[in-house]
Amino acid sequence: MSHSSSWHLRSIILLALISLFFGVIFWVISPLYDVLTAILTPMGLAPFANEILIGVWCMAGPVAGYLLRIPVAAFLGEFIGAAVEMLLGSQWGASDLIAGAIQGVGSELGFTLTGYKRYNWGTLLLSAVTVTLVTFGWDMIKNGYGSYHLPLLLGLLAVRFLSNFFFGGVLTKAIVNLLDRAHVLGTGATPQN
Amino acid sequence: MNPTVKLTLIMVLALEISFTQSITMNVILTLLGLIYLLIHRIRWQTLFYFLTIPGLFAAALVWSLLYQGTATNHFAGVIFSRMYAYVFLGGAFSLTTTPYQLAQSLEQNAHLPTKFVYGILAAVNMLPRIRREVATIRSAAQMRGVTLHFWSPVLYFKAILAALKWSENTAEAMTSHGYVEDTPRSHVITISISRCDYVTAVSLFILLQGILFLPVP
Repeated sequence: MSHSSSWHLRSIILLALISLFFGVIFWVISPLYDVLTAILTPMGLAPFANEILIGVWCMAGPVAGYLLRIPVAAFLGEFIGAAVEMLLGSQWGASDLIAGAIQGVGSELGFTLTGYKRYNWGTLLLSAVTVTLVTFGWDMIKNGYGSYHLPLLLGLLAVRFLSNFFFGGVLTKAIVNLLDRAHVLGTGATPQN
Repeated sequence: MNPTVKLTLIMVLALEISFTQSITMNVILTLLGLIYLLIHRIRWQTLFYFLTIPGLFAAALVWSLLYQGTATNHFAGVIFSRMYAYVFLGGAFSLTTTPYQLAQSLEQNAHLPTKFVYGILAAVNMLPRIRREVATIRSAAQMRGVTLHFWSPVLYFKAILAALKWSENTAEAMTSHGYVEDTPRSHVITISISRCDYVTAVSLFILLQGILFLPVP
């Protein structure tokens, strides 16, 4: 079965709705990002605001990947969210869409590495590792992280991983556990084809 | 300009400036975006927002790179101007194109499967309802003396339950109104890519490449 044929209208709407729900929830925390940036800027540590919160922005990917359990779900979960954010006139526009694609590839890679067969703690951990590495590589290029001194660079990488681990791992697992207990996972309520 | 062509051009340029280090290129792209937005008469309030807010974040990043790293002044200038170029390139697309226009163009010009086009569009149109639902979930918890933070699993759990229910209903509604996946559809409004669109996009792209070879920072 080709990947595109495993996508049905209902799964697509579900995926888009989840990205939008997450987008709306993240919208609530954007003042937090501004405040963190303002606090950290005098010490020249502004990028840490981004590192602390990146897990929140990368969360739609693992949740979608874990819930729908079909290839490309994690990527689309991230990417659709970014595309919608751009269309609704987010100030970051073009970079939103590119960042969404990069984060999507990062999240997806974790699921790809398990061959879309195992869905457990390990998968989420792996996805947190891949999304950290891929997005960090991108920030080295785009935001010039490469010119930081090594200790600070490692600090940024560590904080980014912890953020992705907490939101994409711990919190995502807690969410799917709740869904599991409500018996909406894998019982036909979630469209798994 | 055709939305698909416009989006492709903007994404290619945004990707390109992520790798190149030309301040001139970034400034020219920012100005082009600004002029395009002025032609389309966007609201002054939005323009003001686009001009000021990114500057604050760009300044914070540049200050950090200079203070904590080994960035040269030129590199700092590249990063600062790059952020503005992103914002105005993106704005030139998102502030002049509606989700519906993009969806129609992606379906007819980029031949994206219709289930993705209409599935995503259906969800996007539910955005006001999604906002209301998030507010409802939070206030319902508040009434029981529980505050749902953005790190509370219950908040996401309830949101996903709503998404599961709505996706089921919407997909059923669309099917019962005659929508069939993977079948050809006719269009009331046909969107085409004119030769003028291609010529403008390609020549603009080639002209801009010239900047990279100029002896300017």
